[in-house]
Amino acid sequence: MNRAALLWRMASFAIAAGFVALWQLIANLNLVSPVFLPGPDRAWTALVRGFSSGDLWSKLAGTLEHMAYGWLAASIAGIAIGAIIGSSRMMRTYVAPSLEFLRPLPVSAIIPVAIAMLGLTQAMALFVIAFGAIWPIMLATIHGFAAVEPRLYEVARSLQMSRLAVIFKIALPSASPDILAGMRLSLTVALILSVVCEILAGLDGLGHWVLLSARAFRSADLFAGVILLGVTGYVTSVAMSLAEHRLLAWQAAQR
Amino acid sequence: MASAAKRLDVVPGTPAPQVSFEAVTLQLGGKTIIENLSLGVRPGEFLCIIGASGCGKTTALRLAAGLYQPTSGKVNFDGQRMREPRREIAIVFQDYGKALLPWRTAAGNVSLALEAGGMPSAERLARIEELLRTVGLPGHAGKYPSEMSGGMQQRLQIARCLAQEPKTLLMDEPFGALDAMTRQGLQDEVLSLVAASGATVIFVTHDLEEAIYLGDRVIGLLPHPGRIGIELAVNLPRPRDQLSTREHPEFLRLRRQLFDFIKATEQ
Amino acid sequence: MRASSAKALVLPLAVLVAFEVWARAIHLQSDSLAPPSEIVMALFGAFADRSILAATRDTLFSAVAGLTIGTIIGLALGIAFGISDTLDRLMEVTVEAIRPIPSIALLPIALIALGFGYRMEIVIVAFACVWPVLILSRAAVRSIEPRLLEVARALRLPPAQRVWKIIIPAALPRIFVAFRLSAGIALIVAVTVEIAINPLGLGAGIMLAQQALRPDLMLAYLVWIGAIGYALNVLMVVAQNRLFGRAAVSGDGT
Repeated sequence: MNRAALLWRMASFAIAAGFVALWQLIANLNLVSPVFLPGPDRAWTALVRGFSSGDLWSKLAGTLEHMAYGWLAASIAGIAIGAIIGSSRMMRTYVAPSLEFLRPLPVSAIIPVAIAMLGLTQAMALFVIAFGAIWPIMLATIHGFAAVEPRLYEVARSLQMSRLAVIFKIALPSASPDILAGMRLSLTVALILSVVCEILAGLDGLGHWVLLSARAFRSADLFAGVILLGVTGYVTSVAMSLAEHRLLAWQAAQR
Repeated sequence: MASAAKRLDVVPGTPAPQVSFEAVTLQLGGKTIIENLSLGVRPGEFLCIIGASGCGKTTALRLAAGLYQPTSGKVNFDGQRMREPRREIAIVFQDYGKALLPWRTAAGNVSLALEAGGMPSAERLARIEELLRTVGLPGHAGKYPSEMSGGMQQRLQIARCLAQEPKTLLMDEPFGALDAMTRQGLQDEVLSLVAASGATVIFVTHDLEEAIYLGDRVIGLLPHPGRIGIELAVNLPRPRDQLSTREHPEFLRLRRQLFDFIKATEQ
Repeated sequence: MRASSAKALVLPLAVLVAFEVWARAIHLQSDSLAPPSEIVMALFGAFADRSILAATRDTLFSAVAGLTIGTIIGLALGIAFGISDTLDRLMEVTVEAIRPIPSIALLPIALIALGFGYRMEIVIVAFACVWPVLILSRAAVRSIEPRLLEVARALRLPPAQRVWKIIIPAALPRIFVAFRLSAGIALIVAVTVEIAINPLGLGAGIMLAQQALRPDLMLAYLVWIGAIGYALNVLMVVAQNRLFGRAAVSGDGT
């Protein structure tokens, strides 16, 4: 069973390698102008050069920093606000519909407003990223808190648990699958908005790097940046999966 | 009917009731669920409540637990008026799957009650182990509820309730969802646990034989609105035995009486 | 129902009124805020000179074109991967390598390859729309009742007809859910591309209003973009209910 899976995996890697070879072939034959499409060899060289000179490290660190701060702020605020709204029937009746109304708003539309208020600054970027990333987390938390099994609240009452204990021992763990799913969605949102803000405000990061490379028609550097952004997206989502797997081990037992 | 309960209170030499209902009426959503219910349960007594579905037997139990407040009348515990649930009263819910924390192991679920009681964490571990052994779940401490059978989950819920060291144990059709063999085993275990702890028990069931087998006294409720329709003392020797008790002439007589009562209420 | 929707309106109305009163009381002079009354006036103005209508048309055109292309590609791949386990396993690494690239990161590539305008925006929107459609339609095909496929085999339907007559109709409710999600994404990506760089549509409109220090117009655009997002969502939900009944809506979680 495991052996077969491994073989499939290897075959799948071989196919991916085939695509890279095809890309190399197209580039070598100059089927597409090298101004637009560098071969994987040149992209790789640019990647190595960027890292050895330290340029890409600092850009990567910049993007990760924007993403992490915005996302963490969104997570803390989103869970706190979501918990308050989700655990009160009155708040759910009066506040939740407004939030549902705002949900389909393309969050990037808030960027000009943020620029008008905060200028082209780090603070603007953090505000935009946090604002964009808070929605999935907050809405998931509201849903998770509202969906706590009522029987568990009765158990808590008959144990005379304090309000704080009920939140931390009953409601939060019960809502944790929803909250973590929301945090996973937000991670993607945070990465995209980091890139957009870096492009717009010229903040140090991979978004700025790819834009400058494009402006200067340095396509190899541009591809190196895009590949790095892909890796960032992949690694953060894998890390999130591992965390979810860890924290929700009890759910795996349920299935 | 109400006078039957009153009579129990005034018999000289009988201890004061631990749980008592005084002319309790409960209305929910404009409907009268329970009307003018009076009854007293002596300390250490095993009271079973039966009735057709919709007769308010579960509601009565929730009133005793303090989860509902009566619209009029009083529910007392140890002579004090119940205004909210208290830790000396433990309730075993029928739907064990919903009443356990799925994210905590068996040990963690028992621990919840100990944490609520403020037991220092150093002492908890030994106590948890002891409780799990008491309910027949030694060696399952690390399992999640979802990894356990229905019978095991209900044992776990009972362990959590015992962790409260309750003076009164309320049980709401605890074995209703279990198969017959598991149910009989658990009936005997509950009897011996209760005998050991001396707790007062109010046990709601729709199974007439279960009520007679377990109880010192059986109360049958009439539906719409719920009120007492029959009250029988069970004078069967203890310890009870699944075979001989159920063949006892007194058992058969009581069963006939309750059966006729239920049949009459359904018409 | 009516009482609850009235309650839902209490908060937004209260905020709007409070904001209006506050802005008038302090004679608000700001580059970033404007009282609701002025926002409404600016919105009317933008409708009167048709600027917001042209911008809406541009954005919706790009979003719909990108959505269409992305859906077709995603659907083709999703159905192929759903039918053929071999293909799915062989392509797994390739798909997992490309999927995590944030769509907006392709913006500079599309920019140098295609220049400003509709085309680059459409390409980016299409890229973003492929993935949800691919993943959900693959799952939808996988979950088709095996009996149906056996029927197709028993009837000896050729592969093309099998896809067209059995697989697509059977998976359609869940495929529509994917389409609905992608429609939302398409609008978001289109507006984002316009805000970031592309000088057309609503995104460019709102950026211009900001740069012209017209907070009333900027917020009018914001309100309008929100209204379009909301309307699109409602439209999709209604369409889904009409086409597939309530059962399909509850399949959202997949």
